[in-house]
Amino acid sequence: MQHLLTERQKARHAEFKDFVALHVEPFAETWDREQSIPDDVISRLAHAGFLGSSLPPDYGGQGWDIVTFGLLNEAFGKGSSSLTGVLTVQAMVSMALLKWGTEEQKATWLPPLAKGEMLAAFALTEPGAGSDIQSLVTEFTKSSKGDFLILNGHKKWISCAQFAGIFLVFGKLEQRSLACLVREGTPGLDVEPIHDLMGFRSAGLAQLTFNNVEVPLANVVAKPGFALSHVAPVGLQFGRISTACSGLGLLRGCFEESIAHAAVRRVGDKTVGEIGMIRSLIARMGTDLEAGSFLCHNACRTEQDHVPEAFEKTLAAKHFTSRAAVRAANDAVQIRGASGCHASSPVSRYYRDAKIMEIIEGTTQVHEDVLGKIFVDRAGRLGK
Amino acid sequence: MTSVNAVTQDGIRKTVREFILSSINITQLDDDDNLFESGIVNSLFAVQLMTFIEKTFAIEVEMDDLDIENFKSLSATTAFVVRKNGRRSG
Repeated sequence: MQHLLTERQKARHAEFKDFVALHVEPFAETWDREQSIPDDVISRLAHAGFLGSSLPPDYGGQGWDIVTFGLLNEAFGKGSSSLTGVLTVQAMVSMALLKWGTEEQKATWLPPLAKGEMLAAFALTEPGAGSDIQSLVTEFTKSSKGDFLILNGHKKWISCAQFAGIFLVFGKLEQRSLACLVREGTPGLDVEPIHDLMGFRSAGLAQLTFNNVEVPLANVVAKPGFALSHVAPVGLQFGRISTACSGLGLLRGCFEESIAHAAVRRVGDKTVGEIGMIRSLIARMGTDLEAGSFLCHNACRTEQDHVPEAFEKTLAAKHFTSRAAVRAANDAVQIRGASGCHASSPVSRYYRDAKIMEIIEGTTQVHEDVLGKIFVDRAGRLGK
Repeated sequence: MTSVNAVTQDGIRKTVREFILSSINITQLDDDDNLFESGIVNSLFAVQLMTFIEKTFAIEVEMDDLDIENFKSLSATTAFVVRKNGRRSG
């Protein structure tokens, strides 16, 4: 797929991979075990400009194109799915705010987000509302004088909520969807870390409780009634691009670990790589890697070109790479044997993280339902 | 009077109609059919329609434009695009 990239995109991808090899891969296992990411790692990301990669320079961002954003997430996906989650969520909130924020909101919040001085979290999922976001029960009510909003409810499985300085919270105001910015530390907001996840263990997931939290009207993003139809989709689109590319990076990690092991590990007078059954596993992994690269590139390009097909292409990319990552991680552990079952090999972490990819930003089944409808409807139209 | 604006408006209407018919599994769309209340399109389509008109007509749907009246039907969407274009050129 390299031939589809510009020279600048290739150079940046190489820089991202070098960064990950130096500053992420050697430490990812420790972060995973300790279920946390040190502050200095976040600072290093911020200093490199990775937390504002897609925001315009006017707000202090890098203004990189979406393909480059995808390459950034691919590179980090190989190193640490959890750390990539920080890039994911920062982009979700930043890009939703860039599209729908008021000039005042953008001037206030985007520069610190772009520079990584503040981290954000996308507070959409609730204990009873995951992929079915229309079922939200988090509620905004107007204060008696109507000069601020009062927020009550619960959010769960919110990535990076442990690190966030600002939350983009989705709920309902008089049965109309509403999105609001809520600062960390606001009275009535409780952030309870979620530990002992199977994967994404250092992604800072938390449960949020809002107990009569007062929200200034100036913090409302867009207008009531458009939070789920217009605000959330912008963030979720970037979330899916990031996750698709992160899954691709994880897949590359499985492939590279597997071929490296297969080339040197001996069984009798043969290397593992000379065994036909192992070659089959590696062939499937390598083919998935190639296919996933094209799907991710296509998703990023269509988003960059701002065409309606971007939604479908991104769903397809995320659906493919998340499932391929699960297959690859499963096979990578199999190829490594006992050593693949131990934390000393990244494939054991890949195995746990890969499954999460099939669940976050819309489950595989929800993606299939939506994509299946798109394809069937298209067939119906062609038949007319 | 057949003005340049009227021709442009017809062109916009035709382009938007073709996009909706090519995206949604329906055979007919009247100018004033309510897209969202009638269930012709779902909320997933809202952003795709917005993206289409932004890209095709080189306009940007902004926060102040978020009003269901602007997008509720083919006629409403066409009028919205005409207004945005007029605002830009004015």
